[in-house]
Amino acid sequence: MSLIDRYIAEVGRHLPEKNRTDIEAEIRSMLEDMLEESGYQAKSAQEKVIVETLEQLGDPKLLASQYAPSRRYLIGPGWYDAYLQTLQRVLYIVLPIFATVTFILTLADNPLDFVNAVGEAVGGAFSVGLQILFWITIVFVFLERSDEVPYQVQNTGSKKWTVSQLPKMPYKRQISIGEALTDIVMDLFVFLWIALPLFQNWLQGDANPVPFLNPDLWNLWFPIFFVLMTLNLIHDVFKLKIGNWTPTLTATNVVLCLASIIYVVALVTTQQVINPTFLATLDSTQISELRNVTTWSTWTVNISAAIFVGILIWDMVNSVRLARRLNERPGTLVITKSVS
Amino acid sequence: MENDELVQNILLELRRGTLSIAVLSQLSKEEYGYSLLKALSDKGLEVDQSTLYPLLRRLEAQGLLQSDWRIMDEARPRRYYVISAQGKTVLSKLKQEWSVMAETIQKMLQ
Repeated sequence: MSLIDRYIAEVGRHLPEKNRTDIEAEIRSMLEDMLEESGYQAKSAQEKVIVETLEQLGDPKLLASQYAPSRRYLIGPGWYDAYLQTLQRVLYIVLPIFATVTFILTLADNPLDFVNAVGEAVGGAFSVGLQILFWITIVFVFLERSDEVPYQVQNTGSKKWTVSQLPKMPYKRQISIGEALTDIVMDLFVFLWIALPLFQNWLQGDANPVPFLNPDLWNLWFPIFFVLMTLNLIHDVFKLKIGNWTPTLTATNVVLCLASIIYVVALVTTQQVINPTFLATLDSTQISELRNVTTWSTWTVNISAAIFVGILIWDMVNSVRLARRLNERPGTLVITKSVS
Repeated sequence: MENDELVQNILLELRRGTLSIAVLSQLSKEEYGYSLLKALSDKGLEVDQSTLYPLLRRLEAQGLLQSDWRIMDEARPRRYYVISAQGKTVLSKLKQEWSVMAETIQKMLQ
């Protein structure tokens, strides 16, 4: 194989399959032109001239890369935004759903082991998240390489930007997507945590494990709880959608928080939250004094309620505080006169 | 030394930008790669083969040039390039832009 053949083969190895033959032929023709020019006919100097010509043309890899600029990155600027967006959306949608379903299923198996269920949900979500990250990245690496010519920033200026494209709200969300989604997931968790054992008991009849929460609450308090939780859920969906503490959203938030606070306080002060029968069974199995268990349970309920009310107050105050900031103008620039 | 390198880098970018205009302007009559290289060099623009040939391909892919393999005169088949109708339109726009730009820069440098 001659030096020229080897050179062309080396260039071809780094060319895209599609027009390899054609480019190879062109390089060969170009090389012959060059050789002719440098007095290739003189047979004695042949080898030397060829070497010089090839070296003038340079590294075959570089020459090939001029034809099809290689990508020294996994995902270039042309796909990067789409990649991040897809990743974000899929993760945000799949992970909460996956975690919730795992949580419910684990809890359904073993209703009392809350910690285990949370562990399963978080662990499962983590490994699913890794899988999603991996596969979406692979897909976009292929998409990137399916572009014949790598994206160039200059090529994007075709659409003229108009002021109407400016987002109406301040660009930055006050309520991050993550925060809003966390709230929604938390709503669902609370909802399911309370509702699932209740429905389980209801379905299985009285014969089965004594319910933890007082069944008497079914008359009025549980229905109110579910109504409140549903309203909260709807509110949180709007929080996710709007992203800023607009007057309406803030007002709804304050009303919901106040309603929840009143509900919790009223519930704790007027009702027996924990099933007395449940306490009795606990007592009989663990051989401790009935009074102790009752005090313990009352305190637990009261402290939980206090923490919950605290969170609600903070949420309310925070939303009002942020709502005030929504219309603030961006800080004025302080211009100092330069002393000459 | 460092300054030389900076100058070279900036010049390289300048050339890269202007080379397309130069090539389009010289292809009103069809040329093959090597003859075009010579033509450019005769007018004072030295271009690397490894830059010119891929550029011809890119311009053709963008529809500004058209080409085909042909046997002219004697010898071997060569790939001949010539400016397309679209290329002519683009070139005339580029010419205007270029003269404006050259004038502006000239004014600034005075």
